[in-house]
Amino acid sequence: MLKIDNLHVAVEDAQILKGLTLEVPAGEVHAIMGPNGSGKSTLSHTIAGREDYEVTNGGVTLNGEGILDIDPDERAAKGVFLSFQHPMEIPGVATMNFIRTALNAQRKARGEGEVSAADFLRLIREKAKLVGLTDEKLKRPFNVGFSGGEKKRMEMLQMAIFEPRFCIMDETDSGLDIDALKMVGDVVNALRSSERGFVVITHYQRLLEHIRPDRVHVLAGGRIVKSGGPELAAALEESGYDQFIEAA
Amino acid sequence: MSTATPLAANDKAANAAPADALQAWARTDWPGHAAPSPEQTAAFERFSALGLPHRRMEGWRWTDMRGALRAYAPDASTGATAESAPAAVIEPSIFAGLDPIEVLIVDGVVDLSALPNDMPSGLSIEVGPSQSLGAEFDDHGLAALTEAMSDGAVRIIVATGAPVERPILIRHICAGTSPAVAQTVSSVGENASATIIETFEGAGAFYSYTHKIEAAASSAVRRLVWQDVSADTVFNGLCTIAIGAEAKFEQTALATGGKLSRQETVLFYEGAAIEAHLNSAALLSDARHVDFTSRIMHRAEKCVTRQQHKAAVRDRGRAVFQGKFYVARGAQQTDADMQANALLLSDAAEANHKPELEIYADDVECAHGSTAGALDEEALFYLRQRGLSADAARGLLIKAFVGEAIDGLEEGEAAVFQAEIDRWLAGAGARAE
Repeated sequence: MLKIDNLHVAVEDAQILKGLTLEVPAGEVHAIMGPNGSGKSTLSHTIAGREDYEVTNGGVTLNGEGILDIDPDERAAKGVFLSFQHPMEIPGVATMNFIRTALNAQRKARGEGEVSAADFLRLIREKAKLVGLTDEKLKRPFNVGFSGGEKKRMEMLQMAIFEPRFCIMDETDSGLDIDALKMVGDVVNALRSSERGFVVITHYQRLLEHIRPDRVHVLAGGRIVKSGGPELAAALEESGYDQFIEAA
Repeated sequence: MSTATPLAANDKAANAAPADALQAWARTDWPGHAAPSPEQTAAFERFSALGLPHRRMEGWRWTDMRGALRAYAPDASTGATAESAPAAVIEPSIFAGLDPIEVLIVDGVVDLSALPNDMPSGLSIEVGPSQSLGAEFDDHGLAALTEAMSDGAVRIIVATGAPVERPILIRHICAGTSPAVAQTVSSVGENASATIIETFEGAGAFYSYTHKIEAAASSAVRRLVWQDVSADTVFNGLCTIAIGAEAKFEQTALATGGKLSRQETVLFYEGAAIEAHLNSAALLSDARHVDFTSRIMHRAEKCVTRQQHKAAVRDRGRAVFQGKFYVARGAQQTDADMQANALLLSDAAEANHKPELEIYADDVECAHGSTAGALDEEALFYLRQRGLSADAARGLLIKAFVGEAIDGLEEGEAAVFQAEIDRWLAGAGARAE
């Protein structure tokens, strides 16, 4: 599924990722944990295609196909989805219209037919219920006036609607209360399948109580410095990241 | 109000050709024109003394009318008249779907033939004498020129208490090589309501227009303006609105430019508890120039003003916004807000904003804000990550930005403006091109 090989990324001339290698097979959920500034968000934005992040070495493939040379929207159509750590507020953009436009743009790029307005309405209502967003919220301009938690629900709503092949969740748990954490777990668990992969970036173990990862990796100093099973997350909660910062 | 000063002698010498050319046109014996009234003769004299507004005048420093007309030499042998008006087929108005009561003005020549036989009760539309905008505009060269050369003003009268449901469309077509002027005078009685749509389109030379509106107490007047003249046309529109107590006024204007174009709006609050909303959007490409200038004279208590201006500028376009809130000593509890935002879509795009507050009352809430910048890269990335192409993402953000200016419109009206915004986004020029 997703293979990251010796990835080096510079942001504004600062080398952030320094040889990151990671493989997430289809059907698995991998958690990436690590201290602030270790490169977690740089990794997620690079996979999604942020143009001002410069890949200086290494590669990323999805199902064997290199994705670093294609545009962010083409990556989205191939099934790459990033749940943003800080989702945008976009005044003047009608939420439902935007999500439907995005869904149909992805489908068109894949050679699939458009979803009709009626079918989309049914779909978004069903998924909105799942993530706990009211009709009133869907009628607002995109994320305008939303709390941090509501913005994360909007990210989960889109993930549930797009059904992407590979999901990167960048600190989706930050700022969420217990109920919202459970909701995120429910969305991810409902989407888990043998054909879909997940990278869940988090600082804390609590989200991983709802989403049991297959593998846990520690990212420090721009590299994966330790990998293990779910028990590694619990150990990190106890020991912290100091040992890895020093090693990096 | 900017203060016009007569051309200095050396200016006259430097610009003798264009000033003389236009002033040669602005004369009493122009072919096809009726003999001027004493008021028009006085207006001729004012224009001769004032000349065209130019960049050394405070209110015109970014919109140099004289400079734009420097190379312009009107053909003195012909003038637009009812007989000489172009016979070209005129496409239906973009507002035709709203079933408006339509007045057509081609190069200043008024055609009332499309007025319905069954005019709504309480509405009359006719052509009356030329109209002065009043002493407040005696120093406005283009107001003087327009009055002087006017062959008569369209007069719209809405009787007291009459709700006119159908919109009234004053459709201006610029079509000739000669300069052209037009005037409208509107009077909306107490408790009456009306929507007046004014459109300016076509390819002309120089078009100057004035509209004087009197909105009586407790009336509700809505004004929609669409300006889409060709890239060679120089355009000036000046609208003054005197509003009575507890009346409501809403104006939404969309402009795509011209070689040089200006829309000036002046509101006089004549009574308490007036509410006015002014929205405008400028969509500019190539080397077009749009100037939205406004002055809101708060002269009574408890009035509310909301003003929002949006400009999206690409290529070498230039957007100008000059907004002034004047609050007189007695205009306590004025609540006024003015926001002007420009989106610069190319390195050579330009926006000049001048928001001004002049306040003499001590119990007021007045605010203004002004921004200019490029599209938000973070927002673009977000939209592209969701599957939108770069063009689609940019288009969505520009539409969202400009769209706030048409938020208050009714559905059918908004759809018309939205279609024009889409045309502009698709790279189209003026419809006449």
